[in-house]
Amino acid sequence: MSRRWLRLFVLPVIIAVCTLAGAYGFAGAQSLEAMLDGALQPSAAPALLGPIAENGRVGWACKPEKAAGASAWQDAELPRP
Amino acid sequence: MYPTATPVPRTTSAPALRALAEQREVLERFHLGLDAERRGDWQAASAEFERIIALHPAEPQNSTARYDLAIAYVNLHRLDDAAQQLQDAIARDPGFLAAMANLIAVDLDRGDLRDARAVADRFVAAAPDSARAMYERGLVALRLGDSATAQNDFGRLLHANPAYAVAHYDLGLAQAHANRYDSAEREFQLALDLAPGYARARFALGTILLREGKRTQARAAFDIVAADAAGDPALRNLAVAMRDAIKTH
Repeated sequence: MSRRWLRLFVLPVIIAVCTLAGAYGFAGAQSLEAMLDGALQPSAAPALLGPIAENGRVGWACKPEKAAGASAWQDAELPRP
Repeated sequence: MYPTATPVPRTTSAPALRALAEQREVLERFHLGLDAERRGDWQAASAEFERIIALHPAEPQNSTARYDLAIAYVNLHRLDDAAQQLQDAIARDPGFLAAMANLIAVDLDRGDLRDARAVADRFVAAAPDSARAMYERGLVALRLGDSATAQNDFGRLLHANPAYAVAHYDLGLAQAHANRYDSAEREFQLALDLAPGYARARFALGTILLREGKRTQARAAFDIVAADAAGDPALRNLAVAMRDAIKTH
């Protein structure tokens, strides 16, 4: 194989293949990034706290108000995994 | 069960008798409205609480009726009306924590992140130790892209509740948004240690491993999600796509 033939045909083909592979890889990486960005969603908003009777929120009988102020997550009616 | 007997009014004054009658109506309508909410008849419930509000009762009945009406409105998909009632309830009773908690949930649902953040700031100020206040403000901050507040709130929530897997997941997300991938990986792993079936946390771990260039481990994580997340078809499909994308690149 002559050097002239190598310069004229083989090198351009190699360069073209590398360029295409790079572009394909870049596009793949871009689509992966896009998928990753869209996939990481925060957890769900908690469900509404329940109704309150006519005596209002004050007092130990008011479960929703107690849940709103609770420091333990199990008492706060927060989402489970 | 019959309601308790009303004391016989010891007055002949017409305005006083009228006030007593209205108070009796308010109590009766509270019972009817709460019964309707218990059986899921939101239209009937909303009618009872609207009538109570029209009678202009004093506190705490006014803010309580608005709070209960908001629950009915949410279930009738009237989110803006629900938010308005909860805002009015908080204006009448500024320390009403349950109303703040529900207003943030409604705001998140209707996409009003600005109001959600303002109410969440107020909720945290009113109840600094409340798990729900920290969780809800952290969630709002995450959606607003405020990673610093989200990390602070979920960090504080975890300080008091280290075994709450969901908070580890959200803290991991906040750290990932701040490009702190090592810390994010640790939080997702902690969430999975606490709840091994937590598919969303395992998926998030996979994405972090992928960003860190740990492709084999990432693929294994997506493979587990694809097998385990039968209850969440969207997540399962995403995990399959991610797993296959890694295989072909």
